[in-house]
Amino acid sequence: MSGGTRGRLPLNEANGGGRFPGFDVVGQSKHWDDVTTSVVLARLGMPPDIRFFSAAEEATASALCDQLLGQRQEPRVPVVNMIDARLAENQTDGWHYEGMAPDRQAWRDSLAGLNQDARQSGHVFAQTPWPGQSAILQAVLDLGSHQWHGMNASRVWSLWTRYACTAFYSHPWAWEEIGFAGPAYPRGYKNPGVDKLEPFEVADAKPDQDPLRRGES
Amino acid sequence: MTGVRDRNESAWLLPAGPGLNHRLREDMRAFNDGDEVDAVIVGCGAGGATMLQRLARAGWSAVALDAGPFWDPETDWVSDEAGSHHLYWTEPRVIGGDDPVPLGSNNSGRGVGGSMVHYAGYTPRFHPSDFRMHSQDGVGADWPIDYTDLKPYYADIEGELPVSGEDWPWGDPHSYPQRPHPVSGNGDMFLRGALACGITAKVGPVAISNGRFGNRPHCIYRGFCLQGCKVNAKASPLITHVPDALARGGEVRADSMVTGIEVDERTGRATGVRYNRRGREHFQRARMVIVAGYSIETPRLLLNSASHRFPDGLCNDFDQVGRYLMVQGAPQTAGRFDAEVRMFKAPPPEVSTEQFYETDPAKPYKRGFSVQTVSPLPITWAEHVAAQGHWGDGLRQYMSDYVHWSCLGALCDFLPQPHNRVILSEEKDRFGLPIAHFNYSQCDNDKALMRAAQSVMEDILHGAGADEVITIDRYAHLVGGARMASGEQDGVVDANCRSFAVPNLYITDGSVLPTQGSANPALTIMAVAARAADRLIQGSAHD
Repeated sequence: MSGGTRGRLPLNEANGGGRFPGFDVVGQSKHWDDVTTSVVLARLGMPPDIRFFSAAEEATASALCDQLLGQRQEPRVPVVNMIDARLAENQTDGWHYEGMAPDRQAWRDSLAGLNQDARQSGHVFAQTPWPGQSAILQAVLDLGSHQWHGMNASRVWSLWTRYACTAFYSHPWAWEEIGFAGPAYPRGYKNPGVDKLEPFEVADAKPDQDPLRRGES
Repeated sequence: MTGVRDRNESAWLLPAGPGLNHRLREDMRAFNDGDEVDAVIVGCGAGGATMLQRLARAGWSAVALDAGPFWDPETDWVSDEAGSHHLYWTEPRVIGGDDPVPLGSNNSGRGVGGSMVHYAGYTPRFHPSDFRMHSQDGVGADWPIDYTDLKPYYADIEGELPVSGEDWPWGDPHSYPQRPHPVSGNGDMFLRGALACGITAKVGPVAISNGRFGNRPHCIYRGFCLQGCKVNAKASPLITHVPDALARGGEVRADSMVTGIEVDERTGRATGVRYNRRGREHFQRARMVIVAGYSIETPRLLLNSASHRFPDGLCNDFDQVGRYLMVQGAPQTAGRFDAEVRMFKAPPPEVSTEQFYETDPAKPYKRGFSVQTVSPLPITWAEHVAAQGHWGDGLRQYMSDYVHWSCLGALCDFLPQPHNRVILSEEKDRFGLPIAHFNYSQCDNDKALMRAAQSVMEDILHGAGADEVITIDRYAHLVGGARMASGEQDGVVDANCRSFAVPNLYITDGSVLPTQGSANPALTIMAVAARAADRLIQGSAHD
């Protein structure tokens, strides 16, 4: 498979799209070791079936993750399937907060909380229009460490973003978007250093797209 | 002075190039549960593996039980962030207190090699002041041993890992067996910024081989040190101490979760450990029990080994077990450059400064912090960015800027406090045992250190030319929880790591450390274990 255009995630230029034109992570997979290759390329294959979330929870989680990661259209990284697989296998991070349920129950509780918030405007969360969903989520974030449906809002936010970011940024398409070449064994790097590239790396085509600087404009 | 190979042949027992010596495992001695071995060791990480190697070399019959797997880096580890989840201790634990500390990938390893499988590789020594913090600074505690007691063991372990770095000007000035590594973009930015600010920064100290060492190859600078080193360049006990231990008749019994320590009520002596292997309960008899399960599992095991004699937990007559557990405040500050830094293209540990390590009388806080390069891979970096409140389009936009960021991390010398401790939860694990509940709350001095460290890192990054800096507050490392003390009312073990309560029960892991300094703890844990082993072997600690 050549990266090229196939599978490249949609991301408009204002949000950081198109910075590494032609950068092809998977095209380098012949330089990876077999064990790593099998783990990474599996993410490009058919996503695992949903086993943990109910259909209603799947809808809520899909809407939530689309919002958290700005995935508005296909092709998407199948983040919800990846999170569902972890929860089905109870692959936690090895801890949970006192006074908050372990991850599986915390996911179910927090998805239910989003539907309760959405119901005030007459929808379930998944059917709420995009701006309405965004407003509900921003309100959760703005609560900081205050309570949200009986849970510390910042810990709920951290649960969502930890699982969502782990799934999304494990995917080669996401790596291409940020200029990261992925696995580096057994080849390693020969040209570390400021403004130094390996032959297979692609320089940022828009190095002045500083998020801060654009925030000022 | 003997050469490294004369006291630890591990690097010469490995195959040339990556991989393990499978023959060593196939030929490994296997004791029976009914054999009364000289020593059974609980945990095969920094403390346990060092102890096993030393004892096996001295001719003791010794077996180290580890709850996790006996890793084969070639087949079990990947050059991938999400795919390395199995390197961490992910059995359930509860975190609480005012400032709960995430565990798992943050600080808790599993399997043979322990947390050093996924540590970055920094191996600084503690400073002499760390051993007499209370006398000198009026905070924390004094150790029952001094820096000079550990100094020869520091040098020994630095030779065995081996450690590379520049001549070290801080603490007790010393040099390293290997030359410093070349630096990448992130290390370069640190050095530039430090120079601009008048701060001394040095390359190292890292336990990543710079050049061939025995049969171990040179580092290839692939940046996945925290995912387990497939190259065999970064030191972990799996390759630095276990091979020699096996060759000398020691046994490593993996996939063996120790669930209790038995003590004979009549003699007051430990008789061995109960453990579960592949679902079956076993009991390994031993003349001596040595616990090295690290700061969460060691206290948990003691508390779960209550008996008629020890109703509140083994060795817990004075309510000391689980207390004075420490983490280091580890804020990470990142800076944005128009140039491409590509911080992922090198080992995360490269450059550090200990200029702010000691108490500065001009400051309103005691003790200090160190600053080091850290180079988060995309998932960890995304957590960093998300912690700023970015999500959706904003998160993707920030992440697309990854190659322009440089990242530093501090280690703040958080003070040992009695209420920062492990207790048992109501929740149980799959063995039916209560899980650990870890409470943590920062004191005012801790908070002041976090802010001071952030300010220095911001100065360094601005000094290097960064136009924006962002900081995430986090924690790193664990030590304490069964500390070493002069008397039984102040700790769990004595200066030789022998428990006050049970004469043939030792603890030789990070949990015995009374203070932590601003240094990554791995080297000190190994040095403490090596010293305890020496005392045992010499018989000076025998009852």
